[in-house]
Amino acid sequence: MKLTDTKQDQYGRIKRIGGDTHFMNRITAIGVTEGTEFQTVRNDKRMPVLVYLRETLIAVNRSDAERIEVEIR
Amino acid sequence: MKNAIALLGQPNSGKSTVYNALTGSRQHVGNWPGKTVEKNDGYYTYKGTRYTVTDLPGSYGLSGNSDEEIITADFIKAGQADLTCILVDASQLERSMYMVAEFAAMDKPAVLLLNMMDVAKAQKKEIDHKLLEQRLGIPVLPFTAAESKGYDALKDLLASELENPHKLASAPELPEGSDVHGESEAKYRWIQSVLAGVTHSEQKKFELSKRDRRLLSPILGKFACFGTILVGFLVAMIICFPLMGIGSMIPQLLNVPIADLLNGWNVHPWLVSIFSIILPNTLYFCIAMAGFVFGVNLVFGYLEEIGFLARAAYQFDSLLSGLGLQGKAICPILMGFGCTIGGTCGTRVMDNWGQRMLAMAVVWAVPCASIWTIIPVISSMFFTPWQTMLVILGILLYVVLLMTIVSKVFGRTLSPESTRSGMIMELPPYHKPHWKHIAKEALLKAWDIFKRALRTVTLISLLFWAFSYSGSGNVADSLLYKVGTAIEPVTRVFGLGWRTFMGFLSSAFAKEAVLGVLNAVFVGEGTVLDATFRSAFNVATDNAVLGQAMSDVVSKAEALAFMCACTFNIPCVMALSTTFRESHSLKWTARIAAFYVCGALILSCIVYHIAALFL
Repeated sequence: MKLTDTKQDQYGRIKRIGGDTHFMNRITAIGVTEGTEFQTVRNDKRMPVLVYLRETLIAVNRSDAERIEVEIR
Repeated sequence: MKNAIALLGQPNSGKSTVYNALTGSRQHVGNWPGKTVEKNDGYYTYKGTRYTVTDLPGSYGLSGNSDEEIITADFIKAGQADLTCILVDASQLERSMYMVAEFAAMDKPAVLLLNMMDVAKAQKKEIDHKLLEQRLGIPVLPFTAAESKGYDALKDLLASELENPHKLASAPELPEGSDVHGESEAKYRWIQSVLAGVTHSEQKKFELSKRDRRLLSPILGKFACFGTILVGFLVAMIICFPLMGIGSMIPQLLNVPIADLLNGWNVHPWLVSIFSIILPNTLYFCIAMAGFVFGVNLVFGYLEEIGFLARAAYQFDSLLSGLGLQGKAICPILMGFGCTIGGTCGTRVMDNWGQRMLAMAVVWAVPCASIWTIIPVISSMFFTPWQTMLVILGILLYVVLLMTIVSKVFGRTLSPESTRSGMIMELPPYHKPHWKHIAKEALLKAWDIFKRALRTVTLISLLFWAFSYSGSGNVADSLLYKVGTAIEPVTRVFGLGWRTFMGFLSSAFAKEAVLGVLNAVFVGEGTVLDATFRSAFNVATDNAVLGQAMSDVVSKAEALAFMCACTFNIPCVMALSTTFRESHSLKWTARIAAFYVCGALILSCIVYHIAALFL
């Protein structure tokens, strides 16, 4: 499933990140990498997805979040 | 270069705080060769030795995602710094160590600053910095950038490391032929091995604080953000008001004495008017501008430091991504309703130059507070109160349309789809503000703007002066009149007679000048020169008389066209000069200025010809 499909307070692991090198560099530099454990903190319609990982609260805009595949624990 | 230090760190690592604290006002802002990226370097002297400091631009890594990252990576690779001081956020050590992992490949001397120790301590995070030092092979200094007491220790460390530099003892082993994922995994593995036993971090359940639950909720949060920014803006105005007041006294105090003095020496009247009118007024404009920048930076520096701005960016991201911008642009845009200069400066929060330039162009579309003081006055000369409200509503609707047009016209080049970066940002935990530091930064910025503006505003003022100067004091003797009447057949196409066209021109200088200039050209009281430069403190315009005089010559359709043209013209000389200073691009500033002048005239043309059918 995609990161955008997760619900509030669900825990999971990043499975695959798609997109071009530019995007992947950006997202991995901030701490989102394949295999990272995360918690979805907020996921409201038409709002960036808020995830908590590596002790950081990170907002990812929706179209980018669609490119992140996750599995729920 | 000897004793060259470079500062490297992710956003929110406190890099600019350290840079400002080290160099104070001994800073130089320029461009990186061939790039529009701002180059910040400065120096400080410690124990008799001079050290230069370069604030390296960039975002989260060194992998070349943007001009900024390429510049930073090249700078370090070329060995242009004798020592790189890397900053990491101690409260989020694992994540912010990514910069160190990226740096490791460069194999250059470095020291590591564990910044935000105060936050880490408040979160009860313990860090064994001695162990980290052993593992990394470079000195590690626990630090709190916003407190002044640690800086001597930092300067001592930098000095001794320049004498006897250390390089990182290990680097991530990147598997051969691997892609971004393989490499980043290797980097984080390296970070984890370095941090093992240094700090204890566990993934706990994260709970939003009560404040965040409100501030981040989709509807209530938007109102809360909007309200906070509005209040922040009012506070900024209250702070800068005294400074602006003092500034406005300068022309009043200096005008007559200087004129008397120079006349006593039999100086040519040209020079008298330059020294007694233009220069004191330029000084006033620049002080007012600096006062405003100070107030805005104080308030928004505070909002940024406590972590509010990141929340506002989250709230408005979806809305703004439609314009090719991202959430961070919300603040500059809202600030634009107060003053375009403030909004233009506020675009500093954007981390990509193209989007930043685009944000400035969009901010210009927002009508500033001065416009709201002139439009109702002019409108009420021609229209009933109800119609005036319609005019204002129309203007507001056009603002939205114009923003869309601007983003369409400039967005393709400034922020092309391929480099368009959506918002991926961290929402830092709420910090306690360090007031002393915020005030110091605001003062530095205000002083900086003041120095820079003085030159530009003087130059443009002189230009305007040359056009509006008339030896006899009669409008008809000025170059402006001659040119204005000569091109009236052309300006008529746009719905403007020569008088209203002059008002339009003055609206590019300063919106406050418009009423005074109208008074000069319609009623014949005072010269255009006086009206333009003295309007700010001498609003002796009798609106009833002006209204009578105007409505005799000007049709309702022309009035409507004129108001539209003024509102959407170049905001003012100061905004123009700030945009140039902030963007470092004369080409783009000129392009955007040309766009706004043409856009205002085209709008005026359309409005006039349609309105002429009905009114």
